[in-house]
Amino acid sequence: MTQPLLADYFPILVFLVIAGGIAAAMVGGSLLVARQKPNPEKLSAYECGFEPFDDTRRRFDVRFYLVAILFIIFDLEVAFLFPWAVSLGGIGWFGFLSMVAFLGVLTVGFVYEWRKGALDWE
Amino acid sequence: MIAALAFYLFAAILIASAVMVVTARNPVHSVLFLILAFFNAAALFLIAGAEFLAMTLVIVYVGAVAVLFLFVVMMLDIDFARLREGFQRYAPVGAVIGGILFLELLLVVGSWSFADQAEDLRLAPITGDVTNAQALGRVIYTDYVYLFQTAGLILLVAMIGAIVLTHRQRPGTRRQNIAAQVNRSGSVLLEKVPSGAGIATLGIRRPPEPEAEKPKVTHEAGHGHGGHH
Amino acid sequence: MAMGGTTEMTIGLAHYLTVSAILLVLGIFGIFLNRKNVIVILMSVELILLSVNLNFVAFSSWLNDLNGQVFAMFVLTVAAAEAAIGLAIVVIYFRNRGSIEVEDISTLKG
Repeated sequence: MTQPLLADYFPILVFLVIAGGIAAAMVGGSLLVARQKPNPEKLSAYECGFEPFDDTRRRFDVRFYLVAILFIIFDLEVAFLFPWAVSLGGIGWFGFLSMVAFLGVLTVGFVYEWRKGALDWE
Repeated sequence: MIAALAFYLFAAILIASAVMVVTARNPVHSVLFLILAFFNAAALFLIAGAEFLAMTLVIVYVGAVAVLFLFVVMMLDIDFARLREGFQRYAPVGAVIGGILFLELLLVVGSWSFADQAEDLRLAPITGDVTNAQALGRVIYTDYVYLFQTAGLILLVAMIGAIVLTHRQRPGTRRQNIAAQVNRSGSVLLEKVPSGAGIATLGIRRPPEPEAEKPKVTHEAGHGHGGHH
Repeated sequence: MAMGGTTEMTIGLAHYLTVSAILLVLGIFGIFLNRKNVIVILMSVELILLSVNLNFVAFSSWLNDLNGQVFAMFVLTVAAAEAAIGLAIVVIYFRNRGSIEVEDISTLKG
């Protein structure tokens, strides 16, 4: 079956462990080494009146959402490009033109969103 | 051995996080557990040998779809406590139906086996001499070209639908007209100015002011521009 | 190739199918449990589609046939498009009505 495959991914495990270790060391080090002098003044609003700690659940603008949707679409498009790029030698002109047609269809959508102004930020 | 242990670990985390997705009190936690579930499902894909799908799952689902869910949960300030009314009321019905479905699935899986010719009926055997992504690419764009183009059309429909649904043209907003901005001429003058010299001493022309700026002033007082007498 | 003929420590097809069956049941259970919250219902649908993908990949791996992975790829595409459009409808609906309760959505018809 596919047991050797897992061995190929051992470096990723190593990376994950190292990344986690570095992150933990940074947070833990700042907790341990830094001087902590809590003071209510540090939590009060500074000059212009922004609260230093606030509720993170504030509303986004809907326009962010449109950008996120368009990102999903093009993300999937790029996901289809990867296997095409590595196997282009084996699939010939037909495979090439098939991807050209795919990209052409999505370019129609891209032109549409450009003309509609969905990419402008007003 | 290690693969078996990894499978059990990832499967356990996957199922636990799926439970948390459907039962979490706060939808933000639901989304975060959904991300955890996707990561573990990607690991299960890896163990089964579908490397490219695992990476696609991480990139597309964790990177885009889950973030989209997070956006929507954060964007709409919804009274989530009210949405959880009837949580207890619906739970027994759901549990009964889910239990029946699970039993049926177990019966199906338990009493089923591959056909004898299953090995010969393979359409695209995995040979193992090329990478997973390469093998996928050799199949998707040629053998499944219609499905591939249909996927492109679905993406197109999703794109247009999203724009039609959520894009609003606000009246009265000013947009950047890049062509006009680039093409404008005469209003920008570049001259070499020695340090310390004023504009008046150099005789630098100001751009001509547009005529239509102050029609009121010319009517009230006679001075100013030459026109409108 | 026979199912269930796995020795005790190797992972067979049955393991994958069981995990995916549990995921499917959890997704359906989630739809029942969060009947009012469209966003969690959409997440449950994502779980169901994930279980479908898991099945595809498991069969593809155990039959040594790449087609399952190809179909899983297309399922991923459709699921992402579905999530995008579904959430767009949720956003529009919330903007118009100020709530996302499923009961109110039935007024959309007609």
